[in-house]
Amino acid sequence: MEVKILSAKFGIENAHLLEVAKQHGAYQTLDKLFSMTPEQVIDEVKNSGLRGRGGAGFPAGVKWSFLPKGLDKPVYLTVNSDESEPATFKDRHILVKDPHMLIEGIIICCYAIGCHHAYIYIRGEYTTQVRALQRAIDEAYEAGYLGETVAGHEFQLDVTVHRGAGAYICGEETALLESIEGKKGQPRSKPPFPAVVGLYDSPTIINNVQTIASLPYIIWEGADAYKQYGTERSPGTHLFGISGHVNKPGMYELPLGLPLLEVIDTVAGGVWKGRSLKGVIPGGSSTPVLTPEEVKTVTLDYESMAAHKTMFGSGGIVVLDETVDIVELVKNLIDFYHHESCGQCTPCREGLGWMLKIVEKILAGNGSVADIDLLRELCDNIEMKTVCVLSAACTMPVRSYLNKFRHEFEAYVADTAS
Amino acid sequence: MSDRSQLISTGESFAFDAERDAEFERLVVRYPIRESMIMPALWMAQEQAGWISAEAIEYIADRIGTFPAKVLELATFYTMYQLKPVGRYHICVCRTLSCWLRGKQDIVDYLADEIGIKPGEMTEDGKFSFEEVECLGHCGTAPVVQINGEFHEEMDLKKFKALLATLT
Amino acid sequence: MAEMVKLFVNGQEVEVESGKNLIDALKVVGIEIPHFCYHPALGADGNCRMCLVGIEDGRPPIVPACKTPVQAGMKVLLDAEHIKKIQHDVLEFELINHPIDCPVCDQAGECSLQDYYMKYSLDDSRMRVDQVAKAKRMDFGCGVVHDQERCVLCARCVRFTRQITKTGELGIVNRTDAARVTIFPGRPLNNRYALNIVDLCPVGAMTSQDFRFRQRVWFLKKDASICHGCSRGCNIYIDHHREKYKDDIIYRFRPRTNLLVNGYFICDAGRLSYKEENENRQVTSLIEGRQAPFDETIAAIRQKLDQARKPLILISPDCSLEQMWAVRRVSTLYGASLSGFSDAYVKAGDGDDFLINDDKAANRRGLELLGIKTDRKSFIEALQKTDLFVNFNNDLHFSGVDEEIDALLGTVQSIAVCSHQRDVFKTASIILPIASYSEYGGTIINQDYVLQAFAKAVVKNEAGKDMLEVTRLLGGAVIDARHAWPGIRKSVACLADVDPAAIPAEGIKLQTGEDANVGA
Repeated sequence: MEVKILSAKFGIENAHLLEVAKQHGAYQTLDKLFSMTPEQVIDEVKNSGLRGRGGAGFPAGVKWSFLPKGLDKPVYLTVNSDESEPATFKDRHILVKDPHMLIEGIIICCYAIGCHHAYIYIRGEYTTQVRALQRAIDEAYEAGYLGETVAGHEFQLDVTVHRGAGAYICGEETALLESIEGKKGQPRSKPPFPAVVGLYDSPTIINNVQTIASLPYIIWEGADAYKQYGTERSPGTHLFGISGHVNKPGMYELPLGLPLLEVIDTVAGGVWKGRSLKGVIPGGSSTPVLTPEEVKTVTLDYESMAAHKTMFGSGGIVVLDETVDIVELVKNLIDFYHHESCGQCTPCREGLGWMLKIVEKILAGNGSVADIDLLRELCDNIEMKTVCVLSAACTMPVRSYLNKFRHEFEAYVADTAS
Repeated sequence: MSDRSQLISTGESFAFDAERDAEFERLVVRYPIRESMIMPALWMAQEQAGWISAEAIEYIADRIGTFPAKVLELATFYTMYQLKPVGRYHICVCRTLSCWLRGKQDIVDYLADEIGIKPGEMTEDGKFSFEEVECLGHCGTAPVVQINGEFHEEMDLKKFKALLATLT
Repeated sequence: MAEMVKLFVNGQEVEVESGKNLIDALKVVGIEIPHFCYHPALGADGNCRMCLVGIEDGRPPIVPACKTPVQAGMKVLLDAEHIKKIQHDVLEFELINHPIDCPVCDQAGECSLQDYYMKYSLDDSRMRVDQVAKAKRMDFGCGVVHDQERCVLCARCVRFTRQITKTGELGIVNRTDAARVTIFPGRPLNNRYALNIVDLCPVGAMTSQDFRFRQRVWFLKKDASICHGCSRGCNIYIDHHREKYKDDIIYRFRPRTNLLVNGYFICDAGRLSYKEENENRQVTSLIEGRQAPFDETIAAIRQKLDQARKPLILISPDCSLEQMWAVRRVSTLYGASLSGFSDAYVKAGDGDDFLINDDKAANRRGLELLGIKTDRKSFIEALQKTDLFVNFNNDLHFSGVDEEIDALLGTVQSIAVCSHQRDVFKTASIILPIASYSEYGGTIINQDYVLQAFAKAVVKNEAGKDMLEVTRLLGGAVIDARHAWPGIRKSVACLADVDPAAIPAEGIKLQTGEDANVGA
């Protein structure tokens, strides 16, 4: 089932070093790239159908075409390497195992959008990863792939790494921009969108690491080659992370569109300890949970996930075995989003803490049916009333657990009633 | 999250050492505004001293030309900035979803029961400090522990004990 | 005139100014959209979410009104059930960690949380778990007291110190519901406008050390006036109250919006200058140190003026235009020299580029336009020649003792017509109390030639008379403020068309040229 496009060099020893990476094709697209016009590059990416791999799945080429033309301001690319959504651990592999693929992708994107300074925002927790990335960037400068010219072509490009310091919200693209600008990572109201008013008030494209890293393949092999993987509307491959209660957790590159259950059973070795399945979180902790029944029919692509009222998200799949206490899991989830709420908007700032305390009350055996109902109502009262979707990233999955596993909550309440 | 704004003062002035001073000047030209240097400067201060004191925040504010209250905002917003001294070995245990599913609590309980430190605490000899952190992005090799920035994956209690034994 | 656009609110067509956001534009036509964080001086932040409104057929269908400019044809929903529910729910989130200590909170009566609760909720609390604990009574400096637990984190105060004073003392630290406003340790508020934070705060989180626990706001009578603290002429409210069997006391000044003069704010010195209206007041008439009836004192002053060979009248630069005119007429009547010398009112270098001016005189432009000399040389010359010095409330000691002038004053008989007990008046053989500016009405002209009117606000038990009334009793021709105007109009070109009864709230920016300053 696995394919190796993004992960082609992951198995090669020392492929993070320029010398080795070059032996395996790194930077080979550049001559071709600079023979194309920026418009041709954008068209090629549009044709590939590449969708943003950060979670929202917005077509990358279309995003680029939103940049206003003829503005007397620099254009920025910021690469989102914040990767903080629980159950997501794909970009990390690129940063460590093939950082030159990312830098090559950055060159491609910057040429297409007319950017001469790209910032990579990397989460602060990624210590070894930032070292690997910075080393690769230094190598690329040294070798003339970055700097005054790019591989001898008349194109100036600088790349700067900006380290986060422990804030999930900075994965939200406008919070990320605020953070680079030296502020708290608090999302901006939109409009204006970053493509118009972004970093330092300039037009800005924000793409996820994996999205950018997909570009060398698309430019070298062509959009059609990319589209042969995946489905018509969800083309290409994705670095899926499978974690939780499976025998072989890990990161796997797979084409989009595969049946989820088959992937769990064959790729990830099935549910561990011979246990049965209780549910699957399909795309990172913010995506609504799927029941074993639903898992039977869903496939790993944007459309099928939407049809099952959940989301493809970041492709971070978490398998829950029969022993999982859903109420405890919900507490763990709310605890995370509450801790990571930036504190800006009232409903999220105040509401998530309230929800957490209600779940704790239920777990402590002091809850009532009214508390379960209140928890459910608060999901509605908080969701979509805020600047960004962090609160929805909490309330959407929590609602799904309350709807699909309400009996587990009631069991806690029933104990106290007696 | 508890209040992080109660800063600790060392009573001594703070300044970057020569290496960080040069690093600051090398980086500052890469941003069109100086305030973009607040986060890098906080990192540098933490790397230099192990943690960030009230004096370090004032130094950074002066160096950048911004308000101490603004630097304080960032220092308290971003939870990786240590605003009190940490142990020689600072242990971060991931508490989030996949690590929780695969048994991080055994490690947390061990630290509390056997080493005697709860999240946010430090051993009396200053050897270990410990905090529970949110997802570290190593869910496929959960549970994961980060000690002084180095990741230790596929932990279990046995491995964790063995790991601690190697730390002197 | 700004361009007008038509849009619909709850299906009703309204016409509003274009270029404004929904909150400001609809406010003009009487439609209130609830909000905490938006303030016209600080811009839209969008954090409180209280102003979310529906836009029919809009994408997105729910928007923050503070960030949404009016558009022609827009269909705004305010009273739809789903919008009312949002207002109700957001308010609930604001209140769950709030102490609800209204009975002991100074903001009670002028609190957005309270008002909105009455309007949008009235529900019992559903909060059955522990509240987030935050600090009470933090001394932020400059007389600002912060109660963290009452704070809604709208960030108005933080934005004020960053955008307006550019001093940046405040910040919101932490995140999630641990977020709170604070100062950097050991670096409290340190700017001359800090108390505006108290007004800006929509709830009881920021209170004034000076005002705290002194008066419930619903007892206060709020009268519009003009600060006389400097030549800016900031617009204020005088909040005052007469408790039963007591005197009419001013409890605070607050800024009153005037975009032509002071915008939304006033300085702290001006704000606290209300105390001077309450304290050290001259309330008794004195002749040679003996308390004398008012009429007797007036008669004594008339007699002195009649007898004087070369009287000199000095007038305060704080006087109203009408008072200045009336005193000028009296000086003519008695053949007196008239001076408005008041160099002491200028504190060079004290002003800033915002509201505070070097010149602490409220109406120096009035002196100038009425052709009353203010130079030191002519004042000293007149003082050397005079045998009777009558001081109409001019504090020659405003900036401290002036030895040269004091030496001259020691040799001459003097009369003080004054509102306050001041050193400079102590040597007067006759002292006549008069009203201060909170107790009379009139007009003044600020440094930028903005003519503004203010009305009588406070009625003291032992009310000193308006200086203008004193001039009438001294035989002057001006009966009251209104009767000063025919003369003023004739005398001052740039005031020729002014109807004092029709001066708009923001004042009139006078057109002054070289030839406008004709003294008659």
